[in-house]
Amino acid sequence: MLHQIQAGSQDAMAAFFDRYSKMVYSVALRVLNDSSEAEDVMQEVLLQVWRNPGAFVAGRGSLGGWLVVVTRNRAVDKLRRRKISDPIELFALPSSTNLEQESERALLMEKVQTAMHTLPVEQKSALELSFFEGLSHTEIAKKTGEPLGTIKARIRLGLMAIRKGLAV
Amino acid sequence: MSSAQHISQEDLILYSMQGLSPVEQEQAKEHLEACASCRSALDEVLADIALVGLSAPGQEVPAGARQRFLATIANTPQAAGEAAQPAAPESQKPFVYPVRVRKPKGGLGWFGWMTAVAALVVAVYLGVHSLQLQHQIDANHSEIAHLSAQAARAQELMDALTSPQAKQVTLTETKRPAQPVGHATYVCKTGTLIFIASNLHPVPHNKTYELWLIPANGKAPIPAGLFRPDATGAAAVVLPPLPAGIEAKAFGVTVEPAQGSATPTLPIIMAGQ
Repeated sequence: MLHQIQAGSQDAMAAFFDRYSKMVYSVALRVLNDSSEAEDVMQEVLLQVWRNPGAFVAGRGSLGGWLVVVTRNRAVDKLRRRKISDPIELFALPSSTNLEQESERALLMEKVQTAMHTLPVEQKSALELSFFEGLSHTEIAKKTGEPLGTIKARIRLGLMAIRKGLAV
Repeated sequence: MSSAQHISQEDLILYSMQGLSPVEQEQAKEHLEACASCRSALDEVLADIALVGLSAPGQEVPAGARQRFLATIANTPQAAGEAAQPAAPESQKPFVYPVRVRKPKGGLGWFGWMTAVAALVVAVYLGVHSLQLQHQIDANHSEIAHLSAQAARAQELMDALTSPQAKQVTLTETKRPAQPVGHATYVCKTGTLIFIASNLHPVPHNKTYELWLIPANGKAPIPAGLFRPDATGAAAVVLPPLPAGIEAKAFGVTVEPAQGSATPTLPIIMAGQ
């Protein structure tokens, strides 16, 4: 599909939109809580793929994972009215995960949501404040009244627990 | 975070979520360029961060978003040369001028080597410069697309505010004294909606108000935007993404979970026709 997009096929880009837009929009909406702004972010992120598809060719990493992180960062940039984040490179997801197929993605989302719900409340809260609210660890520490080191540990342990939860 | 030290996992998490200070972010970036071990650790952190993103509840893309996106790409050029060069990975590498190195011959050997070294330096410089220019062009395209979209939305807003076809609707809270008030301005033909409310009651942190367009054709209510009142009870929904041409029978407001709902949760606390 990326090669067709690279060749300028708008039909292929439409298919790409159909495959990933819901995931991208969901992340943006979770951060921004505003459908119009979330759509703006979705458009900006997907446009990056249209403008420079060569940067995303298969085999370099997970495009789905990249879309999630870039969408989150761009949405937080917008939420906090800060300058646009630095670009990030493609990266690989754990081998057990696949974001390309809708059915597998839905299954993975369900697993992640289950893993999130089984986290201790304070770990889940720290992760959500950091990822979806865009708060720095220091800001979370101030907000919760917990030491900075505790917040860092909670986020690190939360991430590890989610990864472990997917491996089960 | 010196170049001699590896970046801690906590800092990699912050780096991946742009949570370091600008100076620390830059230091980390420099270190990552030189440290394969930290790059590998960063990849793992990014993968974990991506998984957290997947915990966001799945939401349907707004109606019309696909058409708007396709209209945008129709007017957005791709990076120069991409369409003509299927060998994409190469297009991302800094351009390096080919340098032919000859075996040194006699007294001119040092000259040949010096020329080759100089050419290499120039080639690396030009390659890096070329990459920087490409990034700049990409950023400019993004900015132009963003500004164009903003201008189009501003024009749409003006048209809705001044159109004689705009339908003016006043919504009042049901079964309660009519203090909270909402005004909806809706243009059916373009699906343009502006909703302004005042004197609203606060909603809990985990809740939000959601505006609904109730179609005249009897079909299911269409979500028309989430909003939370400010400290004075005022709120607005401006140009939510709605399909064009939907005749509105009424508008309603419900209280929903913070991420909004696909169908309204009763009771409808404000309504108007």
